[in-house]
Amino acid sequence: MRTDARPVEQGGEGMRLTSANAAFLMLGPIAFFVLFFLAPFGLLVAESFMRPDGGVTLGNYVSVLSDGYYWNALINTLLISLWVTVVAFLLGYPLAYFIVFHVLRPWGRRLIYVLLMTPLFTSNIVRAFGWIVILGRRGIVNATLLAVGLIDRPLDILYGKLSIVIGLAYILLPIMVLSICSVLQTVDRSLIEAARDLGARPSRAFVAVTFPLSLPGVVAGSIIVFALSVSAYVIPSILSGGREMVTPILIFQQYAATFRPDIGATLSVVLLAVTLLLIGSYLILFERRLRAVG
Amino acid sequence: MLDVVVVDSLVKRYGPVTALAGVSLAIRRGEFIALLGPSGCGKTTLLRAVAGFVEPTSGEIRINGRPMQGVPPNLRPVNTVFQQFALFPHMTASENIAFGPRRQRLAPAQIHGRVQDALAMVGLEGLGARYPRELSGGQQQRVALARAIVNRPEVLLLDEPLGALDLKLRKRMQVELKRLHQQLGMTFLFVTHDQQEALAMADRIAVMREGAIVQLGSGAEIYRNPATRYVADFIGEANLITCRVDASGAVQITPNGPGSPYRAPAKGARQVSLMVRPESVRLGGAAGTDQVALRAKLKDKVFVGSTYRLYLVFADGQEIAAEPGCSSEVDELAPGDMVWVHWHKDAARVLED
Repeated sequence: MRTDARPVEQGGEGMRLTSANAAFLMLGPIAFFVLFFLAPFGLLVAESFMRPDGGVTLGNYVSVLSDGYYWNALINTLLISLWVTVVAFLLGYPLAYFIVFHVLRPWGRRLIYVLLMTPLFTSNIVRAFGWIVILGRRGIVNATLLAVGLIDRPLDILYGKLSIVIGLAYILLPIMVLSICSVLQTVDRSLIEAARDLGARPSRAFVAVTFPLSLPGVVAGSIIVFALSVSAYVIPSILSGGREMVTPILIFQQYAATFRPDIGATLSVVLLAVTLLLIGSYLILFERRLRAVG
Repeated sequence: MLDVVVVDSLVKRYGPVTALAGVSLAIRRGEFIALLGPSGCGKTTLLRAVAGFVEPTSGEIRINGRPMQGVPPNLRPVNTVFQQFALFPHMTASENIAFGPRRQRLAPAQIHGRVQDALAMVGLEGLGARYPRELSGGQQQRVALARAIVNRPEVLLLDEPLGALDLKLRKRMQVELKRLHQQLGMTFLFVTHDQQEALAMADRIAVMREGAIVQLGSGAEIYRNPATRYVADFIGEANLITCRVDASGAVQITPNGPGSPYRAPAKGARQVSLMVRPESVRLGGAAGTDQVALRAKLKDKVFVGSTYRLYLVFADGQEIAAEPGCSSEVDELAPGDMVWVHWHKDAARVLED
């Protein structure tokens, strides 16, 4: 029997996604991306090269990059974001480890995930004000410390870098935890057993095997947390009390208060460029290890 | 002292489930011993208990006379080759192999030497710099082996190490494992569900069922003289003929057949199994008093390469398989023919059900 004489299966042909079909299906998402992301971003970049009277100029960049005030805000932003990332990692990793390795019942794990996610359903503004209640001069922290007698004057925790870092780390912690959990779950338990079998104490097995294999989750989580911290506006503006300046607040002021959209656009582009540069070098730093892991 | 590992009435329960129901086993230094049984028989649990990953409910394991109760896996003088190899994906083959020696805080030069030796031992010279994903299944298996033997353990534990390989590679690795065992003089404790694998490699086989060892002995011993119907069925191919026992204790092979030379092993047994290997069944009538002859109808004849395989039915409906070898007589047989078959009376075993 000649096999090539068989009729072509109709169903098989119809199920296959031809490139024309794929293009058609992608039309919606592409249009959305172009209309609401690429085009506004193009406009923003164009704006940053524009003089108030309409001419093209590099002057906006010159004035932004030569002004120490803008630099201070940028460094402040990056520093706060770095701390937020570090704090979220230091709190998030043990939590993720606990969830993955010590909560064995599926419903227990589900419950923890729900608890982790619940704060995300509340407005950031409400949660920021929550921190004011906790951290304020007459807040819970100071009241407790005073009552115990550890301090005799209330500490200035609120309205500074510390309170912004606390507020942001608190809000972004679930993202870090979920990101680490998703990778930690996939770490083959027999690899950890193999390490123990080959003479590693539990701590050594963690350092040599579990942690390196969970690195992709740590990298992904820290990039998301860092990026969201850099662009955060609500938390810094409520918890800075006007004493700390970060670039997103500055950008907002350019548009809403000083009516300099060109400077606002320039600041946005600079912030984006610097962030991308940092994330890029971070990825390059881990690239070899990440490739080895998977 | 000859016994390197002594397992003494080991019990492991997981809630209501009993994984090990009082296993005792003494492993001699330098022997290749296989734990054989179907999945869920407790063989892997026993291996993991020796490795230190399973805390027994009761009973004891001694290695070199030292009780292992409460000794963590990293402090036990054993190493494991895991089922799916469990190679560290973020380390090269050499780094994988060096993991154990590094934990022992050997000098770097010494570690390097040992790693090279281990690579050579498994035939992977020059591939040390490769990552596991850059190696074939067989090569990964060798790295896993090298990673374990480089530590010179008292006992090498192998948890179905060939299960992930295809048939051809598996056969080759069986030969190599056996060679490695002889070369190293190390004690191997090998877990498998594949009876052929156990027969091909092990000095002694412990056949396990429902958390207990039902028979322990060399492959030939177990094959020729299975202790129970279960063992006979599990090791090799066996015809198990269900037989009546009459009032005098004589075993009747078929309802109306001739008297048989077999007697029931225990008094009062009403029914026993008679085990005959297919290769023991010959064609033709009885040639002497030490032969057992029966009449049967040929149901099917299958050519299996080196011989024909005959499926025969007795008058009472019980079926047996026979591999009488090639002859013109066999060639001429056709399904439906009535034939005489016989076997030497010592070729069959009476087993209690």
